Amino acid sequence: MTAPRPYALLAEITYKCPLHCPYCSNPTQTGNDQELTTDEWTRVIREAAALGVLQVGFSGGEPLARRDLPDLVRAAREANLYTNLITSAVGLDNERLGALRNAGLDSVQLSFQSDKTDLADEIAGARAHQHKLDAAAKIRAAGIPLSLNFVIHRRNIDRLAQMIALAESLQAERVELANVQFYGWAFLNRAALLPTGEQVVRAREIATAAKARLAGKIDIFYVLPDYYEKRPKPCLSGWGQRYVTVNPIGDVLPCPTASSAIPDLRFENVRERDLDWIWRESESFNRFRGTEWMPEPCQSCPQREIDFGGCRCQAALLTGNAANTDPVCELSPNRASVDAVLRDLNSSTPKAFGADWIYRMNPKTLPGLV
Amino acid sequence: MQAPAIAGTAQPKLARGVRLQTDSKTGNSVLLFPEGVLELNETAQDIVSRCDGRTMGEIVRTLAEEYDVDPKMLGADVRETLGDLLRRKLIELV
Repeated sequence: MTAPRPYALLAEITYKCPLHCPYCSNPTQTGNDQELTTDEWTRVIREAAALGVLQVGFSGGEPLARRDLPDLVRAAREANLYTNLITSAVGLDNERLGALRNAGLDSVQLSFQSDKTDLADEIAGARAHQHKLDAAAKIRAAGIPLSLNFVIHRRNIDRLAQMIALAESLQAERVELANVQFYGWAFLNRAALLPTGEQVVRAREIATAAKARLAGKIDIFYVLPDYYEKRPKPCLSGWGQRYVTVNPIGDVLPCPTASSAIPDLRFENVRERDLDWIWRESESFNRFRGTEWMPEPCQSCPQREIDFGGCRCQAALLTGNAANTDPVCELSPNRASVDAVLRDLNSSTPKAFGADWIYRMNPKTLPGLV
Repeated sequence: MQAPAIAGTAQPKLARGVRLQTDSKTGNSVLLFPEGVLELNETAQDIVSRCDGRTMGEIVRTLAEEYDVDPKMLGADVRETLGDLLRRKLIELV
C-alpha cells in the first residue's frame, strides 16, 4: 500500500534520566548499542523533514542529558521543523535554556509528578519538584510556550484539582493530564499504579469541570484511563500513518513502546537504512498499516477507521499477539483479561499506597554522556 | 463556545509559539504550534499571512480589493476564520 506522509518525529535521544518514575514507558531492558552521534541525529532530522515531518519532539530518557541538544534543535530548525522539548527540566539552568532558545527551540513540555513536593519527589525517586517549579518560571521568563504534563495514577489521582491549580499558577498554556498507560516500567508496576474505579469517576468529573472553567485560558487534555473505557484509544491515529519514533540507538519505531512490547517484529536502524525506505518499505511499518491486517471483530467494524483496532502494543502485552484487537475493546474476545485486572483491584482494598512499585533504573550498559 | 467579537480596530497576530510556514510537501500554508499542525485553505492563508500588525478593518479592505468582492460580505468570512483561530489560541488580538 502507498505510505502516507508522517507529520511528527519523536526523537528519543537518550535513555539516561535523573528521575526514576515507576510509570516510565521506556523499555525495562536495553541493549548496549552506542547512542546515535550528533551527526547521525542531524542526518535523521533532515531525512525526516524530507519525508514530510513538520514537528520534532526531543524526548528520552531526559534529553537534557545530552550536551549536544542545542545542536540538534538548531539542525531541526534549519530543516524547518517545529521543535518541542519534552523534559523533566532537571539540568535546565539559565545558560542551557539560553542556548536552547538561541538554537530556536519553539516550545517546552515539562513533566510534573504531583503538586506537592514530598509526594512528587517520592514518585520521581529523586528530589526534583522544587527545581521544576524554578524551571517553569525560567521558561516563562524566556518567553517560550509552556505545556505541563502530569502522568496520573493511583498514588496522585486524588490530587487532580490541586495539580490543575498548580498549572494555573505556573501560567502554563496547555496541560496534559495523562492517565498512565501500561507499557515498559508502567506495565511492570501496573498493580501499584492502576487507579480504582471510584478514583477514575471522581477524576473525570474534576477534569471536565476544569476544562470548562479554564476554556480560553488553558487547554486541558485529559487522557482517558483506557482499561476503564469500552472502546480502545485511536492509537497513533493508525500504525505508520502520522508518527515515527527513532530511539537512542537508532531503531525506527512506528510507536515508542513497540520495540519492547512486540518482540517478534524486527525494527530497522538508521545506521543501515535511510528513513524514507524504512517508513515506506519496511516490514515493521507496513505490518499494521491500513485495515487489511485486521482480524474480526475489527475487520467488519464501522469504527475500524476511527480507532484503528486500538493499540498494537497493548494487544501484544495482554494477549500475546500484536495483531489481535486491543483487549480494551468491549467487542474483543480478550476483554475478560482487562476486566479481571479491574476486578482484582476494585473488589478488595488496594494495598498500601506506594512502596510497592519498582523504580525505573537507567540502562547500565549505555556509554557515557556525549 | 462563542468566539469573542473582533473589533475593526483589533490587530490580530499569531499567538506566541505559533509559526506560519509553507509545507514543502504540498506547497500549502500550515500553522505549527506545540503538538499540532493546522493546514490552512487558501482563504485562511490569505487572511493569516496579513496578520502582521494590520487592523482587522485593513485586512478586510485589502482582501476585498484583491478578491474584488463586497467588504461587508467578506468581513463576515474573515471574522469567522479569525474567530476560529482565536478560539484555538493560534492568534491573539493586540
